[in-house]
Amino acid sequence: MGLRQDIDKEGAIVIPVFNEEKNLRATVEEIRRERITWDIITVDDGSTDGSRELLEKLPVTVISHPVNLGYGAAVQTGLRYAVAAGYGTVVLMDADGQHIPSEIPNLLAALEKGADIVIGSRFLGSSAGYRIPFLRRMGIKFFSALAGILGGTKIYDVTSGYQAMRRNVAQFLAEEYPVDFPDAEVIISLGLKKFRIAEIPVQFRRREHGVSMYSNPIRAFYYPFKSILASFIVLLRIIRGKN
Amino acid sequence: MSFQAKIIITAMALVNLVFIMELLRKKKLSESYTLLWLFVIGAVIFFTWAAQFLSSLTRFFGAIAPVSTLTLLSLLFILVMLIFFSMKIYKMERRIKELVQRLALDNAKRNQHITP
Repeated sequence: MGLRQDIDKEGAIVIPVFNEEKNLRATVEEIRRERITWDIITVDDGSTDGSRELLEKLPVTVISHPVNLGYGAAVQTGLRYAVAAGYGTVVLMDADGQHIPSEIPNLLAALEKGADIVIGSRFLGSSAGYRIPFLRRMGIKFFSALAGILGGTKIYDVTSGYQAMRRNVAQFLAEEYPVDFPDAEVIISLGLKKFRIAEIPVQFRRREHGVSMYSNPIRAFYYPFKSILASFIVLLRIIRGKN
Repeated sequence: MSFQAKIIITAMALVNLVFIMELLRKKKLSESYTLLWLFVIGAVIFFTWAAQFLSSLTRFFGAIAPVSTLTLLSLLFILVMLIFFSMKIYKMERRIKELVQRLALDNAKRNQHITP
């Protein structure tokens, strides 16, 4: 891609966006209020609600998918941009306001301690009280166990999209990233590739506007089957040296 | 198989042949897929009229009626085609994703040069 490869900038915050018009401005403004000066790279994944137009007015880099590709593809596009632009560290966060920017320094501090990637967890320490529906919580527990068994790394909040990663991890994920429901699959893949994964407690907020990608019943039904299959395939590919 | 059944199957195959050729003429089907369907139509006509060969196959499969053999072969073919087309669709999905991402990244790169 050759995009400003000569510059090795400190870090960037990658935010995938899909129909988050009502949350976007607050998210970006909150990051800036925290005096985080890193570039904010937003990837609009074919929004239909005016998110893209709003992004153009905000002090962020805007990458626009002309059509909706899915959460994973948007993350991958952001990572590809960040890697090509020479950022040394990438923070991945959602646009829906659930991820609190004041936690970014904590994620980075954990990264400094030697991890390649840090996952912000809703289920550790003081964050353990975060309430999510029972079935979803059970699903997360199951995939957490699966990721532990297959990938060798026990992560309690495998579905957390609040992450900070070093450039080597961003490079790895920019190459291949699942289009939808990346969660356990990515953790397993990173674990098998021997990246050092850390998990720290972070505070999450409830989303005020819009809906989660897990709220669609068909997708919620499809999610566990896809994730189980994908998890085993990741293992198989790595065993057979295809990835 | 009765002579009447053979005529009906052959007629249906020929109608399909005309339909496929028409799709090709209107550029709604590629030559490679047309060849595939021509092969299928040819196979249907062959099995319909090669009674002895079909009977041998029927005995081999342990089926009672030749029509069952034809049905089985059709099902196998449909299964193979579905797998083939699933692979094709997945390949196209990956290509589309790659194209969309490259387009988005190129646009972002261009915008960055305009407003550094």
